[in-house]
Amino acid sequence: MLNYLIACRSLTYAQRAARTLERNGITAAVIRMPRELSEASCAYAVRVSERKLAAAQQALLAANVPFGAIHPDRSKGGRA
Amino acid sequence: MIYLDCAATSLQKPRAVAQAVTHAMQTMSSPGRGAYPAAMLASDTVYSCREALAELLHVPEPESIVFTMNATHALNIAIGSLVRPGDRVVVSGYEHNAVMRPLYLRGARITVAQSPLFSPAEAVEAFRRALPGAQAAVCTHVSNVFGYVLPIGRISTLCRKFGVPLIVDASQSAGVLPVNFAESGAAFMAMPGHKGLLGPQGTGVLLCAEPGEPLLAGGTGSLSEQEQMPEWLPDRHEAGTHNTAGIAGLLEGVRYLNRRGVERVAAQERRLLRQLTSALEGTPGLELFVSPDAQLQTGVLSLRSAGHDCERVAQALGEAGIAVRAGLHCAPLAHRSAHTLETGTVRLSVSPFNRPDEIGTAAACLKEILKNL
Repeated sequence: MLNYLIACRSLTYAQRAARTLERNGITAAVIRMPRELSEASCAYAVRVSERKLAAAQQALLAANVPFGAIHPDRSKGGRA
Repeated sequence: MIYLDCAATSLQKPRAVAQAVTHAMQTMSSPGRGAYPAAMLASDTVYSCREALAELLHVPEPESIVFTMNATHALNIAIGSLVRPGDRVVVSGYEHNAVMRPLYLRGARITVAQSPLFSPAEAVEAFRRALPGAQAAVCTHVSNVFGYVLPIGRISTLCRKFGVPLIVDASQSAGVLPVNFAESGAAFMAMPGHKGLLGPQGTGVLLCAEPGEPLLAGGTGSLSEQEQMPEWLPDRHEAGTHNTAGIAGLLEGVRYLNRRGVERVAAQERRLLRQLTSALEGTPGLELFVSPDAQLQTGVLSLRSAGHDCERVAQALGEAGIAVRAGLHCAPLAHRSAHTLETGTVRLSVSPFNRPDEIGTAAACLKEILKNL
């Protein structure tokens, strides 16, 4: 199954996003954003499974946690 | 030693605080500087501390919590964000030099909203008269010299009415009294980690309702190609490597407070203060600075004795194994307001870890010293 990366503006926002998702029963990992996917350097993202992506977006919106672009994680480790 | 200098630094902390510091030094690197386990463990710990502080202080968004070196650092960021040279700034008559010196350094025109000790209604009226036309206000929640709880809620309401941004110095209230940042209406609230929050020295916290202006610039582990500091919190004010070990210790102090409840801490400290004042009342020549309303004072007692130099009294207490502080406590303005500037005071300040028997011993020792000094 494919994983997705939800971009966050900083480490702290990525942590807030990940904890919000965990509290909603969605497994999420904070990772550093690959350079090829990020306009800004030193960016962070949370990784969620494709199956949970829609629920994750809803949970973040409901909790007013800002997030940016969403990218499929095509790295080797990006496939569960 | 009986430690009664908690208004300076709390010395007795939950055991988990020192354990967490040691553990962090052995297992954690820097948050935001890598994706390997030691960096991510540091990141998790720092973020957990933001969450624990958010719970304790009612901060809606954990990213609004900025880690600093101490309260002075936090106050310098807040003052630097709101005050420009020539701005008129209103302060209470009970401010610490951590407020006054940054204001002088910035070239502020300072208006002191002067009011008598333990007179909250007069404090509110003084702010009401002084606020119109001011560019900012700074008010301590609790006087570090007298434990006087200022009416910060009513002062904040006045500030909003007059459109004046407020900085609250919560150095003596965080972890000691219930503090609600969301309801405070403050633009910034500053506090140390090493007093009531029971963390190690070298930790401080700034709560921000707005981004503010950076005091320091440097690496943040974010937006590295950009020449300016990030616009968002907390990165805007957290340049350089974090004090991860200190923050790990602070996390345990705050967790302890969240478990125990600040209301219970406040009640216990007031009980100890009542015991202390009861034991000392009636001592010939001894002047105690005590509020007639117990809710207006935390566990901080200032006193002085006619004919006794306060430094000599504190020295004698120290030699007898009782740790207190004497002098002006870095707050000459508070002493001017209470008419104690010439003499200074001896200050005894308790923590939730003091026991009634310690208070009894300290009171008896002080009476004995005053008899013989």
